[in-house]
This record gives sequence, structure tokens and C-alpha cells, in this order.
Amino acid sequence: MQAEPSQISDNDLLHAVAVGDESALAACYDRYRLILFGLILRILNDRQEAEDVLQEVFLQVWRRAGDFDEARGRAFTWLVTIARSRALDRLRAAGSRARLAEEAAQEPGKEVGDAAVDTLNSEKSAIVRNALAELTDEQRKVLLLAYFEGLTQTEIAERLGDPLGTVKTRMRSGLIKLRELLAQHAT
Amino acid sequence: MEHQDYQELLVPHSLDALEVSEARELEAHLETCAECRAELLALRDDAALLAYTAVPAEPRPQVRAGILESVRAEQSVDRAGAVNNKVVPLRPRANWNIWTMGLRVAAGLAFVALLIGLVVLWRREVKLRQEIALLNHQLDFKQHELVRDRDVLAREREALTVLTSPNAKRLDMAGTQTAQNARGSFVYDQKSGRAVFLAEGLPATPGDKAYELWFIPKGHSPVPGRIFTVDSSGRALLPQQMPADAMENGVIAITQEPKSGSAVPTGAIYLSSPKS
Repeated sequence: MQAEPSQISDNDLLHAVAVGDESALAACYDRYRLILFGLILRILNDRQEAEDVLQEVFLQVWRRAGDFDEARGRAFTWLVTIARSRALDRLRAAGSRARLAEEAAQEPGKEVGDAAVDTLNSEKSAIVRNALAELTDEQRKVLLLAYFEGLTQTEIAERLGDPLGTVKTRMRSGLIKLRELLAQHAT
Repeated sequence: MEHQDYQELLVPHSLDALEVSEARELEAHLETCAECRAELLALRDDAALLAYTAVPAEPRPQVRAGILESVRAEQSVDRAGAVNNKVVPLRPRANWNIWTMGLRVAAGLAFVALLIGLVVLWRREVKLRQEIALLNHQLDFKQHELVRDRDVLAREREALTVLTSPNAKRLDMAGTQTAQNARGSFVYDQKSGRAVFLAEGLPATPGDKAYELWFIPKGHSPVPGRIFTVDSSGRALLPQQMPADAMENGVIAITQEPKSGSAVPTGAIYLSSPKS
């Protein structure tokens, strides 16, 4: 890579990884490890497993960066999708696992170091959290169950004891509202 | 399904929250609809931002090191795996004696042995690749079965929820002249309207047709329900939402319609609940 790593766009970073640039992979890891590890850890609730999955994720990024097509969505989406898929696969393979009884954030405790705090307070993170806070409790619950536990609409309806039609409506209106709120900030 | 129906599946699909059968139907539609494809991509970008709601966390430094080590190991294997096909002939030496000849023969033999070794390894690799291809094939097949089983399991769980509800009410359906051996049970939760329909003994439909369920509230025109086909033993089990006004003195019927369904009943009636 010629330019300063932090100045390279996500797209260019992935393109560099695709042609075998190891330092680009390292830069990608440095840029996104906190978000991706946070996501995987939230899904799996187990540090060791989450680290294993994070490693798998970046090996997959290394091998499949050539598949990334910027015309089909953001690099961030591509990375997050891989991380979420691998984490949910591991979750399902593990069989029954203690699930979070309530949605809502983990308590920030000794897990959260300085870098993580910076990320937490980053503008993008704040925008998304604020937007999510403007949804109704029911809309938020449905979206988070789908996203972090990989449940289908039917499974969510069973979990919450709500009619399927209600869950569908909340999911749809929730994500559309989220999109409108985020569009205001042009994320 | 109408185009609008597919559009309504896009949001849950962006969260991977559709049932397998619905996801498959939507994926088939996406192959021919650029508008929906574009919308799905945009929704996926929005959905991905939910990752920001997880608390960011720092993995141990060993993880980064492990990744780079694995990547380097892969790269060096790739390089070593490339077989050098250039054969360098041994130059004949100017002074030619038994010793030199012996060396040449030995080198030649060693070279031949190496070639044989490479051929053996190459053959083994080809065989391994074939085995891998076969295993991948079997894996795909098993995954399809698993996906189907999940689907079936989800339906059965839904059925159980409705059947064990304290508000469950049951309508038995009898076969008509067209299908005298057919039987059906429609069980619904009077409070939520969630229902389960089980049919048995229905003949298989021709390729261009399917069965359609109808709710006929008293004094009203038929309201379409789900479209379905039966399995190889003539059974079908499916969830269904019951419209509120069909609950009192309604009749439920099954007719055969074109595969994509019909807005009004056009085909023969196969099953019907008793008129009250």
C-alpha cells in the first residue's frame, strides 16, 4: 500500500486484500476488529469462541476479498455479514446455549478498553444508537432478536408470544423507520 | 405471489428472518427483478449498521498474530505447491569415465524416482480432489435435507402451539365427491386467529396446479387463504392465519386452482367444512 493506511477507503482496502496484500488485511483488522469482535461476542457470549470466530472471519476475508463488489453494497456490510453469519453458525452448532433473556446492551465493564470506548463514542455508533432509541420498544426488540440471535419471524413470534402478523409489521416498520432516521444523518 | 408481496419480504430477508420456503421464493423472484434486488442491497446496508449497537470489544493481540501467521502459511504453501515442470537435461561431460557415468546413472535413477514420486502424489491429489468434490456434493444434499427438515420442524412447532392453545377450536373437513378419501382438520386459536391446517388423502396436483384454501364467512364471498401442494403421501400441514369474520359460522373449503393461485375459486372443491 502506498498511502497512509488510515487514509485508505474501505473499498480500496478490500481490493488490496484481494490481490494478496497482507498489510491491507492487517489494516482492515485494525480498523474493524472492535466492531466485529463486539458483534461476534454479543452473539456468542463467550470470549474464547468469539476469538476463534474472529480469526475465521478474517481468514474468510483474506480468501474471499475478490468476491467483494462495491456495486452491491458497502464494504462494512460485507464484513459485518461474514462476521454475523459465522457467529450465528457457531451459535447454532453449539446447540442450546444460555441466551440473553432480555435484549439491550451488555454492561460496559472491564471488557471495554480505551479503544473500545472511543469506538462506542464514535459519531457513527452514537447516530445508530440514537436512531434505535427512537423506535418503539417492540420494534427494537424484534430487530435485535432477528439480528443478534438469528431468529426468523416465526421464531420471534413464538419467543415473544405475539401473533406473527404483529411481528412482521413491527420488523418492517422498525427497519424502515431506522433507515429514515439514519438517512437524515446520511450515514 | 404479487410483486407487492415480494416487496414485503425484503425487510425480513435483509435480516435473514424469513422462513426457508419464503426465502427461496423471494430469491427466485430476485433473479428477475432488479428493483427488488437494489432495494434488498440498500436494506442490507441499513441492517448491517445494527452491528454498531453491540458494545465494541478488544480481542487479545494473539488473535491478530494468529490471523497473519495463518495467512502467511497459506501463501507459502501456494508457492511451494507450484510444480516446476522444466526438465533440465544433464550435460554430457567432456571427460567421460566410469565414475562420471556411474554418477550420471545414479542421478538419472534418482530423477526417475522423483518423477515417479511426483506422479504418485499427483494421482493421490486427483483422487483426494474427487473425494472432496463428492463430499461437497453430499454436504449440499444434507444441507438441503436439513433446510427442509427445519422447515418441517418449524411448521410442526407452530402446529403444536395452536393445538395446545386453551382457545383452540377445531373444524373437521370432509372430502367431496371429487376426493372421497380426503380429510382435513382446521384448528384455530379463537383469540389470535393463528391456525393450523392438516389435510390427508388429497390426490397430487398436476404440475401447473395447486390447492388453495378459502374462508367463506356467512353471507360473504370467499376470502383466499394459502396455496399449497401435498407431499408424496397426500398430506399437507401448514400454518394459516384465520380472518376474524370467518370465525363465526364460517365455512372453509379447498379447491384446485392454477399454481400461482386465484383471487376467486375457479376449480373443483376437494374438501369442505360442514355448513352451519
